[in-house]
Amino acid sequence: MDQDATRYFYQPVLMVLGAVSVVLTGYVAWLTLNDLSLMKPAAQKFVGLDNYARLLTDARGLAALWRTALFTIAVTTIEILLGLAIVLYLDREFRGRRLVRALLLIPIIMTPVVVGLTWRFIFDPSTGMANYVHSLLGQGRPMDWLGNPAIALFAVMIADIWQWTPFVVLLTLAALEALPSEPLDAARVDGAREWQVTFYVLLPMLKRALLIVALIRAIDSVKAFDLFYIMTRGGPALSTETLNLYGYISAFTNFSISYAMTIALVLTVVTNVALLAVYGVMFPAREGVRA
Amino acid sequence: MMRRILFWIGLIALLIVTLFPVYWVVATSLKTVKQAFAYPPTLLFEPTFANYARVLQNGVFLRGFTNSFVVSISASVIAVAIGACAAYGLVQQTPEKRRSLEKFVLGLRIAPALIFVVPTYYLAVRLGMLNSHSLLIAVYAFVNIPFAISMMVTFFEDIPHELRDAARVDGARELRIFWSVILPLARGGLVATLILCVLFTWNEFFIALVLSGRDTQTLPVTITSFLTFQGIEWGPLTAAATLIMLPMVILGLLVQGNVVRGMTLGSVKG
Repeated sequence: MDQDATRYFYQPVLMVLGAVSVVLTGYVAWLTLNDLSLMKPAAQKFVGLDNYARLLTDARGLAALWRTALFTIAVTTIEILLGLAIVLYLDREFRGRRLVRALLLIPIIMTPVVVGLTWRFIFDPSTGMANYVHSLLGQGRPMDWLGNPAIALFAVMIADIWQWTPFVVLLTLAALEALPSEPLDAARVDGAREWQVTFYVLLPMLKRALLIVALIRAIDSVKAFDLFYIMTRGGPALSTETLNLYGYISAFTNFSISYAMTIALVLTVVTNVALLAVYGVMFPAREGVRA
Repeated sequence: MMRRILFWIGLIALLIVTLFPVYWVVATSLKTVKQAFAYPPTLLFEPTFANYARVLQNGVFLRGFTNSFVVSISASVIAVAIGACAAYGLVQQTPEKRRSLEKFVLGLRIAPALIFVVPTYYLAVRLGMLNSHSLLIAVYAFVNIPFAISMMVTFFEDIPHELRDAARVDGARELRIFWSVILPLARGGLVATLILCVLFTWNEFFIALVLSGRDTQTLPVTITSFLTFQGIEWGPLTAAATLIMLPMVILGLLVQGNVVRGMTLGSVKG
């Protein structure tokens, strides 16, 4: 009898959320089996799996998928390693610790569009700071960071790493502080050196927290849109077009709604399968994702 | 001693790398055109507010500001109100039931925005709603609700069970317990959740790009319309960028600890 009334607090909300998700997903799935263009909505017709077949042989789409994977793996790995290094560096008592934390928060809460503009400004080929620093380092020729297909993707990665490494730092630092200190002290008493304590005791204890951070960063990087849209719009010569961006362009530049939805659905399924696989390998036991 | 000096040098280097890009944008917004494009770059200069004056006279920017303000506040208030109710109900359930329900709530947030934004766009076009604030408010409220639920659950958990039990022994109804016992205790959590929802909504770009019309553009979309590929006016642009991010940086610093807590639950980024 006791839990009866509390049910009414959440059931309606979750039912609406669930119903909307189911209806939308069903509608999206139905759209992918049709050929619907925004230009001529009346001409909708059923085409079966044609859109999926088209994606499988679409060189542009496959390149975008590969680029998304590359971007996600690269930025997640670098952010985790760099973040961990910074955490180990900051893990000591010093004056201004709280202030440093507050300052590290700034990139995270900055409007992503503004982050994109900031880095576009810095990478500006004629007046940007990047080329100025580049010339100070004695590398004579100015580079066209965002205009050169060979390096534009790396330039966007730098912006992403700048914005999200502090996130890894703050989260890992919080996890580190929640750890019991006894195992570390015990290892020290047993005569372990400081680097041994870090590698054999501290890092294994942090593993779980790091994996969760990596998972969050991977999910967000797959969906990355703002930085790409502002800094390069997928260019030059499609060299920075991710699958999410390609989906957007298919829908709103080419107006092929059905194909865009096919891309979005494939992206979602591929991401979830990949994440579940990673998750299964990392957490073999039944545990919830609660950080 | 040597080690401490090295530590501080490293720390300062870290802070410079983190803060220089922000400083550079703000500094550029306070420069004249000539100073902004001086080579080598000018580090010391007398600030001018001419760029701000220009931005603040721009009708499109001011409308964007109003839209951002109205949309993010309304959507967040709705999301927090609904989210708090649902979270209260969830916290009272048995652990097994809670786990599966909370997993469902989390799962709602993994899909990319593209997947629900495009059908919404298509429906909005057919219903002729593309240029209305209520569409944006509804979509953002919907997107923020799962976040608000997950966040409020963590705050309600911290409230001791005995308080609710005592109120029930006194014969209070569930709605009354929620309203006059639990909510006042979770006030800090409500404010933090509200601020984070405002922050995410204000910063959100993808949904706004697709679903806002000419009269409902929010600031991140407005600023991209200043971004043309032939010649960007960096002065006014950096001033606008500063005006967009500044309120959020202040709000974010106010709820510092909760930002990381909230983002662990997953944010509503596109």
